[in-house]
Amino acid sequence: MSSTRLNQLIRIFNWSAAIIFLITTLMIFFYAPTERTMGNVQRILYFHVGSAWVASIAFAMGLLGGVLYLRSPSRRWDNFSLASVEIGLVFVTMTIASGSVWGRPAWNTWWIWSSPRLTSIVILWLTYVAYFMLRGALADEERRGRLSAIYVIASFATVVFCYLSIRLLRDIHPVVFGDTLVESAQGASQGESEFANGLDSMRMGITMTMSTISFTLLYIAWVLNRIRLQNMIYATEKLKARLSARLQGGH
Amino acid sequence: MNSNDKIPFHRAVAAMVWKDLTLERHTRQTLSLMFLYALTVTIMFNFALETKLDAARNVATGLLWATIVLSGTLGLNRAMSLDRENNSLDAILMAPIDRQAIYVAKVLSITLFTLTIEAILVFVFIVFFNKPFWRPSVILILILGTIGYISVGVLVTALTYHTRGRDVLLPVLLLPLSLPLLLPASMAVAGFVSTPPATWTEVQTAVSLVILYDIVMITLGLTTYRYTIEV
Repeated sequence: MSSTRLNQLIRIFNWSAAIIFLITTLMIFFYAPTERTMGNVQRILYFHVGSAWVASIAFAMGLLGGVLYLRSPSRRWDNFSLASVEIGLVFVTMTIASGSVWGRPAWNTWWIWSSPRLTSIVILWLTYVAYFMLRGALADEERRGRLSAIYVIASFATVVFCYLSIRLLRDIHPVVFGDTLVESAQGASQGESEFANGLDSMRMGITMTMSTISFTLLYIAWVLNRIRLQNMIYATEKLKARLSARLQGGH
Repeated sequence: MNSNDKIPFHRAVAAMVWKDLTLERHTRQTLSLMFLYALTVTIMFNFALETKLDAARNVATGLLWATIVLSGTLGLNRAMSLDRENNSLDAILMAPIDRQAIYVAKVLSITLFTLTIEAILVFVFIVFFNKPFWRPSVILILILGTIGYISVGVLVTALTYHTRGRDVLLPVLLLPLSLPLLLPASMAVAGFVSTPPATWTEVQTAVSLVILYDIVMITLGLTTYRYTIEV
């Protein structure tokens, strides 16, 4: 992709993500209903689930980038994979933080080790942090791309485990995402029965859907920005090499 | 080279496993290292839990797996350093054999080493913790878990082979990656050693997660291993 087209795209996504995110935030606080048992704290749900959703998309994209790199090694796929994993890690951290903040009033504790979901998400976090360790330890660019592509494919197992753990093992943490987006939104309003009328749960579903959309847009915007940044890093490296070659030649 | 010139898969695997076993028979280094390390770790765990023996009994399964994993990492590290000595990996790569055969042979021989250590460990754990680790169902889970762990371990070892500080990087990459296997595996073993032992239906989920992990990682290793050693 040419850099002007990339810049155009970045501008479009930056703005649309910012606007939709603002709308979603307003909706979360003023449009979504207040949950009966947990009260206002429950509004964390929209951030918590939204960031978890984007994290899983980001890691899936990282996996895709890795597979594509192995099929046809090109810097483009490596950049894409790196950008996705980096952003995924940020979102996982956000998910853990918001979940912990929510856990305090809901479960009366910041953290429970006996929950497979909580344990598995920490495993996931560790696995993807190690991805950067691996990258940092490889100097040769081509080799770094190839080996980290393999690692990013393998580490997706932890995402799958995180997804399965909650569905297969006994857990205090509720299941949110269903098969489709609509179903997810319905699942998100877990406490559906807690609401007196259907209108409230519908409002909740709409807010959830909006939150998912805005987080997805945010992810796209960040990925594009990150790719641009990486391209600039490579361009700088190239210039540096040329400069030092010229300086050495001059002497 | 014509693909017909290649040595058949099973013969290549058998030859390489035989090579590893012969090497071990002559030096006895890997097994003795792994064994001493496993024993030290077990004693350290016991030392940490000594005051509460009941607590130690409850976590015995976790300790068993932790010990297996740590000594398995040592075995993988040792295999990597053997490959590096005299550039023997390069020599193997020159042979007309499938890359997948190299992977399978490595997984097989390191799994054999780790299982040998486990046989001793199981005995040690029965003595120390008085739990029925000899049950066939426990042994089966141990074998399945070890296969999965070593198959991902060989792949990660190959990833770290060319890195700076490879010996340190291996556990950092491998341990989190293997936790999705170890968690259900230790759940299953804990179920089987409890009195009365858990039925298969009770631990079905955990066991199927272990098998799923094995299948995924072996497939991944078979498909991607060649990318790790093409320099």
